[in-house]
Amino acid sequence: MTLELHNVTKRFTGVLAVDNVSFHARAGEITGYLGPNGSGKSTTMKMITGLIQSSDGEIFFDGQSIRSDPMGFKQRMGYVPEEPHLYQHLSGLEYLTMVAQLRDLPAKQTAERIDGLLRLLSLHSDRHVPISSYSRGMRQKVLLSAALLHNPDLILLDEPFSGLDVATSLVLRSLIQELAVRGKVVLFSSHELETVERISSHVVILHHGRVVADDSIAHLRTLMSLPTLEEIFSQLAVEQDTSAVSRDIADLIRA
Amino acid sequence: MARNSKFRVLYRQFLFRLMDVEMLASSAHGDSSSLLGQFGAMLVFGSVLLSWVAVAVGGQIWRHGSVAEVWGAERFLISLTMLTVGVFALLNWDATFPDRSDVLVLSPLPIRGRTLFAAKIAAGAASLALTVAALNCISAFAWPLSMAPPGFNFPAKLRFVTAFWTALFAAGAFIFCVVLGVQAAAAQLPRRWYLRVSPILQIGGLVLFLGVFFFQTTAAGWQQWLPPYWFTGLLSELSGVFHARAHPLMAPLAERAIAALAIAILVAGGAFLLSYLRTLRKIVEEPDSAPMPRGRFRLPRFGTQPQTALAHFAIRSLFRSRRHRVILAFYLGGGFALTFVYLSIVMDLTHLSWTGLLREQNVPVMGASYLVLLAAWAGARMVFALPLDLRANWLFRLTPPCAGTSSLAAVRRAMLAVTLLPVAGATAAVLLAFWHWLALAQHLLVLVLVGSVVTDLSLREFRKIPFTCSYLPGKSKVHMVFWFGIIPLVFLVHKLAELEDGLMDSAAGYCAMVAVLTVAGWAARRAANHDAAENSLEAQFEETSPDELLTLGLNG
Repeated sequence: MTLELHNVTKRFTGVLAVDNVSFHARAGEITGYLGPNGSGKSTTMKMITGLIQSSDGEIFFDGQSIRSDPMGFKQRMGYVPEEPHLYQHLSGLEYLTMVAQLRDLPAKQTAERIDGLLRLLSLHSDRHVPISSYSRGMRQKVLLSAALLHNPDLILLDEPFSGLDVATSLVLRSLIQELAVRGKVVLFSSHELETVERISSHVVILHHGRVVADDSIAHLRTLMSLPTLEEIFSQLAVEQDTSAVSRDIADLIRA
Repeated sequence: MARNSKFRVLYRQFLFRLMDVEMLASSAHGDSSSLLGQFGAMLVFGSVLLSWVAVAVGGQIWRHGSVAEVWGAERFLISLTMLTVGVFALLNWDATFPDRSDVLVLSPLPIRGRTLFAAKIAAGAASLALTVAALNCISAFAWPLSMAPPGFNFPAKLRFVTAFWTALFAAGAFIFCVVLGVQAAAAQLPRRWYLRVSPILQIGGLVLFLGVFFFQTTAAGWQQWLPPYWFTGLLSELSGVFHARAHPLMAPLAERAIAALAIAILVAGGAFLLSYLRTLRKIVEEPDSAPMPRGRFRLPRFGTQPQTALAHFAIRSLFRSRRHRVILAFYLGGGFALTFVYLSIVMDLTHLSWTGLLREQNVPVMGASYLVLLAAWAGARMVFALPLDLRANWLFRLTPPCAGTSSLAAVRRAMLAVTLLPVAGATAAVLLAFWHWLALAQHLLVLVLVGSVVTDLSLREFRKIPFTCSYLPGKSKVHMVFWFGIIPLVFLVHKLAELEDGLMDSAAGYCAMVAVLTVAGWAARRAANHDAAENSLEAQFEETSPDELLTLGLNG
């Protein structure tokens, strides 16, 4: 099972958001998708999910274009979006039940699965509370549960660690590794380079909508003679002299 | 920044936020001006209609020489303005007080709480003043000029027009202050309680306003206690039209209007001041939603798993969203008022008494049940088209079975569950003790068939999942057709009730009626399903299609 992007491009009115992006994410492998803000990561994720249409190029999953059977593809995909937009008038339990029903999962088995997920993610005591009262971390947990509920083959995680407490972040980190070991295709974007370095075997770095690196972290380290992913990322995708910028900001607000 | 400029910035923000831009179609680019424009156009259109009536009948009034008719026309305009302002004040209930995001965003900034509150009130007041102005922009000139007594010179006419506007604004301000005062008083409760009682107060307010609007003329002996009469008295006193033949009632009514307005302003101001002192902290410290009941009530299944999900989502959204509930209540309130007026007229014609109304099978009760059903249906159809948490609808875009006949069936069942089921249930509960069971069963069957036909007709080309599609007011025509077609609709309903009543005694005739309705229902469902099958791949999430033309942006 492989997720393949071939020359995928997205143009918004007058703006080239994603430019000819190609890469592979394989089963059993965790692919980190990195890039500065506005580099096109979330746009790529949304094109893979089908939330937005690509302007050009093709996306394949398991050898099939996702456009040939979008319904079948959606049944095999789990997605955690960048922003935790949820129906706030529903409780966590009602939201997850609704997702399971929409995915036509068997009721009894799903109820047990939802109950288990809520317990494991420490949401069980708040399962009847409306989502509007949830913290960002709790919402993220609901999104994560909703994405995994149907045991998808492809897992797309857009900034999955945002808002999570330390314990849940550690659980999620192990979970991503465990899912990869069980043969899932995992593509996740994050700004936490340390975490990416720790769990990913393969990274794709995006800059101004273009792929500037697509390789294993170990190979990139050797190739660029740099010891850490952070330094590799800085070299490839950070244009600014960070120390100079911070000095300038401090000077500006003093003036 | 000076306090005045802070006020101006906040005032502007709050004024435009009274229109919820998040529910607009994405093609509107979050710009509330199109919504404001359409809304204003609707009010101005209403004003044009009223003016046309003024031109048509205004000149006749003095020829007949009836002062009461002039007062009746004045009171109608004042009542309509009060109803409009009252309804908008209730619908904007949540926009009057700072919400959690206001407090969280603005508290760290050097802005005084009183500036925040003053900007909120000013924005609310400005929007309501604009509403009054738009609604009366033509009619408040046409009516006084056409009703001015013969021989009135220009200064007298000018005085009449000025008096008209003064009375209209005073009436609007009175209602606004009453709503504000009640809301501010409720805000003294713990925030969770405030959130719980708010919808009750809103719905109660709507029923009260609609009740006064429709029944004021029938409330013999109570007129002196009804605000529209007070402000009609004020208008009469200010205009000087009736000095020559002054009615002894008008002066006390005018005094009552001034006293009521002063009291309303003082109470609203005081309660609001108290809110300013007490509620800002509460807004931050307490959760912004009332806890939901953990009752054991479970919604039934509505077909397959995805259909059940869609129907449960629609029903829960309707009953948990305050805004949607209030809009539905507005339609129901209007429906009940219309039903009451209908019953009054038909009972006069059939010489039926209120006590005899329920005793046996009769046309007015049958017609009333149809009218309530239609009001519930129009309200549900309207609120299903209004979005809730629009940004969360990505979920439905990513789950496969959210379009086509399966989805339509779920929407249909949800609509029937919130309209037909309660209306048929209430009809059965009320009439079971009075009617013969067979007559009741026969009527309920016809009611169900009519409800089913109407629901399927209204769902033709409906490709939306309730509460998930963006909204532009001018695009949602069903409810406008409902309100504008109300008189022929009542006539049709009465004819249907007469037909049903006539056929119920004949087995063959009744069976024929049921057969016709069944065939009509089958045809309507087939047509709706056919439309849905043609659009089976994708549900509609945007009210307007994206632009066909793509700007290339080549000019840099």
